[in-house]
Amino acid sequence: MLSGAVMLIAILAAPLLTGLIQRQKAFFQGRPGAPILQPYRDLRRLWHKQVVDVSGAGIAYVVAPAASAAALLAVLLIVPVAGTAPDFGVGHDALVVVGLLALARCLIALSAWDTTSGFGLMAAGRELTFAVAGEFLLALVVLTAALPAGGTDLPAMWLGAAGSGIWAHPAHWCGLLGMLMVVLVETGRQPIDNPDTHLELTMIHEGPLLEYAGRDLAYLQWSVAARHWAVLALTAGLFLPHPAGVVAGIVVVLAWMLVLTAVLAVVETTVAKMRLLRVPHLVGGVGLVALVGVVSWIFGVAA
Amino acid sequence: MTGAVAVFGVAILAVGVLLAVVRRSVPVALGVQAAGVGIVGVAGAVAFFSGSQVGSGFRAGIHPGIGLDPLSGFFLVVIALTAVPVLAYSVDYVPALPAPRVVTALGGGFLLALIGVVCARDVLGFLMCWELMTILPAACVLIVRSEPAVRRAIVEYLGITHLGGVGVWIALLVLAERGVLGAAQVVPQGTGIVVLVGLAGLIGFGSKAGLVPMHVWLPRTHPVAPSHLSALMSGVMVKIALYGLIRVVFVWMDPAPTWLGVALLAVGAVSALGGIVGAVVQGELKRLLAYSTIENVGIATAALGASVVLGAAGAHTWAAIAFAAGLLHILNHSVIKAVLFLSAGSFERATGEHRVDRLGGLLARMPWTGAACAVGVLAIAGMPLLNGFASEWLVLEALVHAATDAGRSGGVASAVTLAVLAATIGISLLCFVTLGGRALLGRPRSEGARDAVEVGVAMRAGVVMLAGACVLLGTFPGVVVAPLMRMRSVPSGSVGPAGLWLPGTGGLPTIGLLAVLGVATVVLVRVRGPRSAVAPVWNCGQIDEPALTWTSAGFRSSLVLSFRAAVPTEHTTVRDTRDGVLTGMEHTQTTANHFETRFYRPARRGALRVAHLARGVQSGSLQAYVGYFVAVLIVLLVLARVVGA
Repeated sequence: MLSGAVMLIAILAAPLLTGLIQRQKAFFQGRPGAPILQPYRDLRRLWHKQVVDVSGAGIAYVVAPAASAAALLAVLLIVPVAGTAPDFGVGHDALVVVGLLALARCLIALSAWDTTSGFGLMAAGRELTFAVAGEFLLALVVLTAALPAGGTDLPAMWLGAAGSGIWAHPAHWCGLLGMLMVVLVETGRQPIDNPDTHLELTMIHEGPLLEYAGRDLAYLQWSVAARHWAVLALTAGLFLPHPAGVVAGIVVVLAWMLVLTAVLAVVETTVAKMRLLRVPHLVGGVGLVALVGVVSWIFGVAA
Repeated sequence: MTGAVAVFGVAILAVGVLLAVVRRSVPVALGVQAAGVGIVGVAGAVAFFSGSQVGSGFRAGIHPGIGLDPLSGFFLVVIALTAVPVLAYSVDYVPALPAPRVVTALGGGFLLALIGVVCARDVLGFLMCWELMTILPAACVLIVRSEPAVRRAIVEYLGITHLGGVGVWIALLVLAERGVLGAAQVVPQGTGIVVLVGLAGLIGFGSKAGLVPMHVWLPRTHPVAPSHLSALMSGVMVKIALYGLIRVVFVWMDPAPTWLGVALLAVGAVSALGGIVGAVVQGELKRLLAYSTIENVGIATAALGASVVLGAAGAHTWAAIAFAAGLLHILNHSVIKAVLFLSAGSFERATGEHRVDRLGGLLARMPWTGAACAVGVLAIAGMPLLNGFASEWLVLEALVHAATDAGRSGGVASAVTLAVLAATIGISLLCFVTLGGRALLGRPRSEGARDAVEVGVAMRAGVVMLAGACVLLGTFPGVVVAPLMRMRSVPSGSVGPAGLWLPGTGGLPTIGLLAVLGVATVVLVRVRGPRSAVAPVWNCGQIDEPALTWTSAGFRSSLVLSFRAAVPTEHTTVRDTRDGVLTGMEHTQTTANHFETRFYRPARRGALRVAHLARGVQSGSLQAYVGYFVAVLIVLLVLARVVGA
């Protein structure tokens, strides 16, 4: 019941996370920065603005923002914040989440092809390249979390990671490292991508978004926030220490998500963006660490 | 009853072949063939869903026998589901080819051979249909096209599949000789026979299925065939090769040993990755599709490997689910690849272009074919909730459970395969977003694409039927998965029909997901606001020249550059300068083919050298040949004495 309420609130609360990150980043950089609620103000502003269509673009361009927001909505309804979660009719499978995140990426890339914008296509090509290494890593991270639970049912995985016993397994540590990398890739934060860039040539996730305005852009900005919520909730629930109880579990997971926003702000302040072509190597390398963790589990290594 | 229906369908199909031979109109012959294949498919569906067995069982003798069991029934469904729309498409497509009546007759014969392989119950019948299945499409291609390059590709195809096909003969003849066929027994465990049959089967059927490293013929042969035949070759023929492999591994060797499962996982992972890497650097549409067939055959093979290692470890429920995952992917890929090859044929007809970079904007110009192709592109890229996602999800789930439950060697092999397949699916997303975006969206990139008009009704109907099958199979995968699990004697419980509910997963509720995605998308597009202004694309103030638009090579360049250590590419740029002014530029990029340079070329050179030595024996004198006969006879007699004693 409570967990279901939190999952529904996430639909509204997700932009809070990006606001928090921006605020803390400003603090670490010694700026006053925008208020935490700035993402909501942006969404309200965009909601009242006119939609501007690109001349010559077709159905893919029109549908992509709405459909990718719909995919992220489904993700938020799947990702639990506790070991028990209501079924909103969309199940609770980890690999379905992976598929829906890929669907959102695919739609945005297709919209770039529809507008034939050079910046959009350059950026979308980069994002899909990162996603190749990203999927490799994500599959192994899901596997490290699935091993103790015996499957990819997210509430069961959440319970499998609860308590302190799991930390005796090296696999869990490797999985945590991998998941932190997944957070950087999926949220598009430095050193992978810079969400604050205004230079078209350096854009990755932002590139195809250049062509959107008004409510379309609002959908896309909400999708980015929802992506933050989903991966941070998964990191906290599947890889960070938390109790098995529902109420205590939800409180601890939400607290961890706040801590993770601070971690992202620190990383974003202290680490420079990587060379583009090196990113897949880094992500793939972390994937190999996760693979070592999986092998250690299969061979029954425990401290 | 089922048997009679199947025989009736085959008879109708044969009539369709004869109609094309005696002077009748090609569309009538194709229609009759479609009816025949459809009836055979219905009989197959009955056998598959009811789990019944009709006709004779397998026998070792030389008496011909035909029969149907659930496995054969499943593959008849695969054949019919692909072939009926392909034949509908052919009604408009084939008459414009050279020698349409011969093509129609050979195509029908090809279908008869495919059905024959699946239904044959004696070794000779199986091998005869197997060879016909290889030769008939080759003949058809040679009739339609006579360029030297095509002839060379066909010779290569026949050479490799025949050499590899020796494995099929060895596996089947050994099985017949050991009495496995006909008797209700399997190969004795832990003997050399298991190793011999397993390896011979893997090489023999694998070379026909296009598994790496026996794959080099596939991307050369499938694209040169006329599109309706490409669809059948890529969609069905390679799957029938997997049918043979499944029959050997899961029926005659059941339970197969762990090492064979690990081998299938390894071959599957290498084929999937190798296939998609070949596809992503391709500029030619049909060649790209052929490479992607290798990828998908690899994915299905990996699932079969997961099933073997799970079965060997005693995890029977997930062994059955992994088996179902492999077969579901076989079915799904048949449909998807057919829709893609057929729309490639339509695009070629409508635009005269066969390179992805010369198409563009076809969704607006050819709405039916374009929309069907878009469905195929999204499905093969594994996008929810089309059929490609359902089976790839199931394959990945099977590998997760194999990593958990299949012991050490099976578990580690499954974990590595899982990661490789995930990367493969990531590359395939890039590959097919490029194809879909470049061919269907945006503006036309050539005069042919600009002037394209929609193809005829029959060609439209063919692709739309297949696209509909993609949607239905994506929504109701449980309908197919439940009988597939029962085939492995595991109760299917509450698997489906809408979505997949399996133990140890969070479930794939397709209806719920479709509802959420569909309703949210429609609502959000509605409230997007009607007041839309139109503005040019943002290009930093540059003029928006069609010649300056991004190419597919540009789109994938980050991928190619990031992984250039693994996939070396060579670039050559030719600049035309006149009086110091650049007037033209040509850029070509070639990707090194390690299998060709490091495996096939040395093998070919070695074979030629051996042939050169052997030529000394061929003196041409009769006495010498008689001498050889006598020598062989003596050696055989001595051998018989020594071995027999």
